[in-house]
Amino acid sequence: MIFRLLRLILVAMVAVAAQPSLDAMAQAIGHGSAQLIADQTKVIQDLTAKADGLEKKIGDPGEDDAGLVDIRLQLEDISRAALNSALAFRSRLNDINNRIEVLGPAPAQGQQEPAIVANERAALTAEKAEINAVVASAQNLSIRISGLVDKIATMRSELFRSVLTKRYELTDALSPQGFSDAHDQFTGLYKAVASWLTFALKFKFQAILAATLMALALAAVLLIGGRRLFGRIFEPNPSVEDPSYLSRLSVAFWSTLLPTAALVVFFASAVFFFNYYNVLRGDIGTFLNALLAVVAMVFCVNRLTNAALEPRLPNWRLIPVATGPARWLVRLATAMAVVLGFNYFLSVVNEKMGSPLSLTIARSFVATIIVGVILILMGSLRPFRAEDGSRRPWPAWLRFVAIGLGLSTIAAALLGYIGLALFVSVQVVVTGTTLVTAYIGFLSARAIGEEGGFADTSVGRWLSVNSSYEDTALDQLGLVVSIAINLMIVLVFLPLILLMWGFQPGDIEAWAYKLATGVTIGSVTISVLGILTGIVVFAIGYFLTRWFQGWLDGSVMARGKVDTGVRNSIRLAVGYAGVALAGLVGISAAGIDLSNLALVAGALSLGIGFGLQNVVSNFVSGLILLAERPFKVGDWIVAGDVSGTVRKISVRATEIETFQRQSVILPNSNLINNAVGNWTHRNKLGRVDIKVGVAYGSDVRRVHALLLDIARGHPMVLKNPEPFALFANFGAAALEFEIRVFVADVMNGSIVQNDIRFAILDAFEDEHIEIPSTPRAVVETKKQESWPIDDDKIEVEFAERERLEAEAAVEQARLAKTKRRGRKPDPS
Amino acid sequence: MWKSVVTAIAFLAMGGSAFAASAVNKDAQTRTLIVTEGGGKTELALAAGETVEFCPNGCFVTLPNGDLEALTGSETVEISGGVARIK
Repeated sequence: MIFRLLRLILVAMVAVAAQPSLDAMAQAIGHGSAQLIADQTKVIQDLTAKADGLEKKIGDPGEDDAGLVDIRLQLEDISRAALNSALAFRSRLNDINNRIEVLGPAPAQGQQEPAIVANERAALTAEKAEINAVVASAQNLSIRISGLVDKIATMRSELFRSVLTKRYELTDALSPQGFSDAHDQFTGLYKAVASWLTFALKFKFQAILAATLMALALAAVLLIGGRRLFGRIFEPNPSVEDPSYLSRLSVAFWSTLLPTAALVVFFASAVFFFNYYNVLRGDIGTFLNALLAVVAMVFCVNRLTNAALEPRLPNWRLIPVATGPARWLVRLATAMAVVLGFNYFLSVVNEKMGSPLSLTIARSFVATIIVGVILILMGSLRPFRAEDGSRRPWPAWLRFVAIGLGLSTIAAALLGYIGLALFVSVQVVVTGTTLVTAYIGFLSARAIGEEGGFADTSVGRWLSVNSSYEDTALDQLGLVVSIAINLMIVLVFLPLILLMWGFQPGDIEAWAYKLATGVTIGSVTISVLGILTGIVVFAIGYFLTRWFQGWLDGSVMARGKVDTGVRNSIRLAVGYAGVALAGLVGISAAGIDLSNLALVAGALSLGIGFGLQNVVSNFVSGLILLAERPFKVGDWIVAGDVSGTVRKISVRATEIETFQRQSVILPNSNLINNAVGNWTHRNKLGRVDIKVGVAYGSDVRRVHALLLDIARGHPMVLKNPEPFALFANFGAAALEFEIRVFVADVMNGSIVQNDIRFAILDAFEDEHIEIPSTPRAVVETKKQESWPIDDDKIEVEFAERERLEAEAAVEQARLAKTKRRGRKPDPS
Repeated sequence: MWKSVVTAIAFLAMGGSAFAASAVNKDAQTRTLIVTEGGGKTELALAAGETVEFCPNGCFVTLPNGDLEALTGSETVEISGGVARIK
């Protein structure tokens, strides 16, 4: 499923990436070169004329921000078109160059060549010069356009600054003249609307009815479909006592999004159908658009605040404010949206009816003052209930931000900086709404991502019933869903907020394009798409390696009866090589030039050489171990002080488990540079030596024979090499013998030693052969013990000793009874 | 699933190289291309055997023989024997 999605994305990427200018190529074929040159010269002349027109438009003083962005987009189109027209010459230029090459270099001075060759060369060179001239004009055009685009950027920032810093005279706007202007305006608007209404009702009544019904039907489909699809999570259920945070969040999110979307669809389709039936006439369309946008915005703000604060249902409230303040917050927020929306609508009306500047100033002044007051009111609410029942205010930072914004808006308006005040108040409402929605979305994503969060959702419940996913899988799925929601929110709301902040769609589009194809910093190009591709390629390479490793190890080598050590070595080597290869391919796919890395590596190699000396030496030793295989996993090796079985050979260090079950991580260089003893290198055969002494005067031949018998009689002792009894020494206290036996598995050495020693003891006892023990000299000291003074103490000590002896006897009896056979003892 | 992986790799192999134009200098000497991109001309010096990625969004380039060519940003410019070829 994921791969299918990936494939789809990749196809789209390829489609975007591979867009050569096919039409330009096609033009090149089939036309004569002269025709081609003439055509493209014409094209470039047209483009230059267009660019001239646009440059003139840039100079117009009346051009606003949106207009400038539009001009920039057109200029960029022209630049692309110029490039494409220059592309048309490529095949012809190629032909000419090939031909010139065939003709060979021009003869040295004084030498002659056939006239036909000289003529052709001259003709070709001339044609090439002509083509170069046309391409150069395209290049010049593109350079000029870049300059214009830069100029537009500076103009736009200046325009923005001037809007914010321009100061208006309030006295003109708020004079009686202003009121009469306003009256005139309203009369004009009333007349326009009334005349349209009479026209529409008289001639277009059926069309209006049909358009409205169709739009209503569309919106109803969306709303009812949404309700059916999302069902319970759409409306808060008052009967639920304590809804989970997640369900509260999703209710808030969806109950804001769905009705707003339905309303927007209704309005958009209504306008579309009105336009389709030619109902709208003159300025009415613009007015209607503005009015509908305002209504949609007010509706959205109202829905959002209602959903988040739920004045009627305290259980479903997202923020734990008290009921009274919740109601007030909803009212204030809606009022703010209404004021700003009304102001926006009036601005559209003013613009269309060409009203005087004073009216605009007066309207904006009133709106900003009201918004400022509302902000201060909101900030000074005491929404939270404290422990003792009194009301607590907002957290300090929020309170100060709200009151500060309100005060600064009012101050700016009073000082005459109407543009600034309006900008701030609009941003507060619009950006605030967007941010709150996005924040709610983020919170719900977090709630889904929490452990067990996804299983609680309706989708999770459905999945756990209808699929074989286990809890952990569901949890991981929840994590994926939460990341996807986060990503979606960023993708949707970031451009939205940028739009609100006065960036134009063209800007965002250009940024997205740049981000995807690469931002060039100096000589390094960083592209999100490239990096993502790199990661995807690496992931694919990694999984491919793991799969190949598993297949090679499990299917091929296991069936081929390959030695475990070799299998391990090959598996590891394949794994490292595969991951390294995937990394390299991933880096190149990410668009990072490996030669740059080589440069850095060269510069750092000295430092790395010193700093990572040990690591590198261990790494290389690990590779040598894999190739040379002096020991394999499971071998009993002795390296210096460490003796134990090899558990794991990795590329830096080797893990050895001693017989005390202690894991020792031995750096590979130790194993390469120092002597390593391996008891089980080629085979597990090993010799066990057992020493025994007999008293002088014993029958040594009998002893020798007995010892050999015992050695031969043991089932674990190998017949070949034969066991051997060595008469080792005439010792100081005994005649010393040594039994040397070979066992098939040296790991069993201790068992054999034990058995043989017991057997020797038994046999010697039967034959009355004595094993002497050297008595130690007893040195008697002359010092006399002091006379006992504390009889009680002696008695207590005696009783304690008796008790201990009795306990020891009981313990021995118990041990003898259980007689557990322990696991095989370790060999040393 | 493996079919999907193989398809993905095939697409990546096709698409992976299409992010920028690249220039390869197969000569033993340093060769210079003049690249006009985004309103400025820059000299792109290619050392012997060097490969450079440039011009992700289309540009004009002046080749060593003086020819002026437009690139869309998916081509490979190969210089050998002082002659540049666009592939």
